[in-house]
Amino acid sequence: MRRLAQGERDALQPLMERHYRRVYRIALAYLRNPDDALDVVQETFVRAFEHAGRWNAGSEVAPWLTRIAVNQSIDRYRRERRRRETMAPLDEGDHDDRLGSGEISPELQAHGHELGARIDRALRSLPERQRAVFVLRHYEDRSLEEIAEALGIRLGTVKSSLFRATHELRRRLRGVWS
Amino acid sequence: MSLRGFLHERWSTQVTLLASGCLEGAQRERALAHLKACADCRREHDEVLALLHVVAQDPARTATPNVAVQYLVTRVEARLDSVIRSRPWRWATLGAGLAIGGLVAALLPRLMPGPSPSQTPAAPAVAEVAMDDAALRRLERVMAREQAVRYLAEAADVMVNLNAQSRPCPREHAHVELEAEVQRSRELVSRRALLLDLEEENLLPARDVLVDVDNVLREVASLQSCSRRDELDRVRREMEERQLLMKVRLLSRELVS
Repeated sequence: MRRLAQGERDALQPLMERHYRRVYRIALAYLRNPDDALDVVQETFVRAFEHAGRWNAGSEVAPWLTRIAVNQSIDRYRRERRRRETMAPLDEGDHDDRLGSGEISPELQAHGHELGARIDRALRSLPERQRAVFVLRHYEDRSLEEIAEALGIRLGTVKSSLFRATHELRRRLRGVWS
Repeated sequence: MSLRGFLHERWSTQVTLLASGCLEGAQRERALAHLKACADCRREHDEVLALLHVVAQDPARTATPNVAVQYLVTRVEARLDSVIRSRPWRWATLGAGLAIGGLVAALLPRLMPGPSPSQTPAAPAVAEVAMDDAALRRLERVMAREQAVRYLAEAADVMVNLNAQSRPCPREHAHVELEAEVQRSRELVSRRALLLDLEEENLLPARDVLVDVDNVLREVASLQSCSRRDELDRVRREMEERQLLMKVRLLSRELVS
């Protein structure tokens, strides 16, 4: 990271080799689309390179990259939502319910991952903050405090978001285990 | 709502946090003690655990990118190049704007009706205007190059995306989604026609590459947003045969320097 902060591009590859899979999984869990997830990996490391000077040398790299990756994923989701809204106005609410109820990413369809497709639909139905909290807790094993810091929200908001997300996912996925 | 229902509601968040592994110490003990006494909460707790068991099997948890890390490193470097290229353009545009402002301020008094000829000596004024013309030509040259650098940076972004694009089009079977790239290419083709004159003397050394880039963008612009994979492959082959991305990168560096 120190080399990166000094603008040495050669330092990118070892950093990416160590972290790109995890960054990809965070983005994929959030966006549910492999191409979008790859774009987020790219943008995460571009940001990491540009802002390496701000990284606190006493802290670990992984949570710092996680924070960038989640914010990039949310940004990308918002951009995509705006693009869809321009094409066809959505109902009220800050999440894309049509995506949640109908569209399964073609990659998952092609591979016949029925379970993945159902989780895909359910997660995509969540509002962006609830989805980020759920992904960070259950895909990244982050503590509630770490999630609050990564997303810049209060601990109480993290708890209520996690509860609402879990409640909604239970409702949508109940058929899978019952 | 019954008293039982009210109490259950109150405990719901705690039960979810307990099942999610987020409670510790006294809070955890209290929630566990409540579970023993409340059948509704036990059922809810079991449901959350079942949900988390399902989520633990999500293929996304173990997914790996279907590209090599080297490819991603190249993408990141290309993106950083394009960011760096766009910065001098912004500063140079600001500088050019200030310079034009200065020129206008200097020329304005001469264009406005001024004092009588007897009060303004003719010869020095002509000399000053001639010098300003030279500055204007330099400015035009700088701006033409900056427009070219910006155009090449944005075209390179489209080409990198085309190389990376493999997203199937949800609207048609066996087609790829190219909407963003097609749209961007159309914009760039129109902008190039408006802002860059390929026959301009200042851009002659860059002409061949600019023409190649223009041709590729026109080809992409003519595609449908849902295109057949072989059409995309044809454009990719053309870029590769002409080593277009590498040429764009080298030319941009040369123009910036």
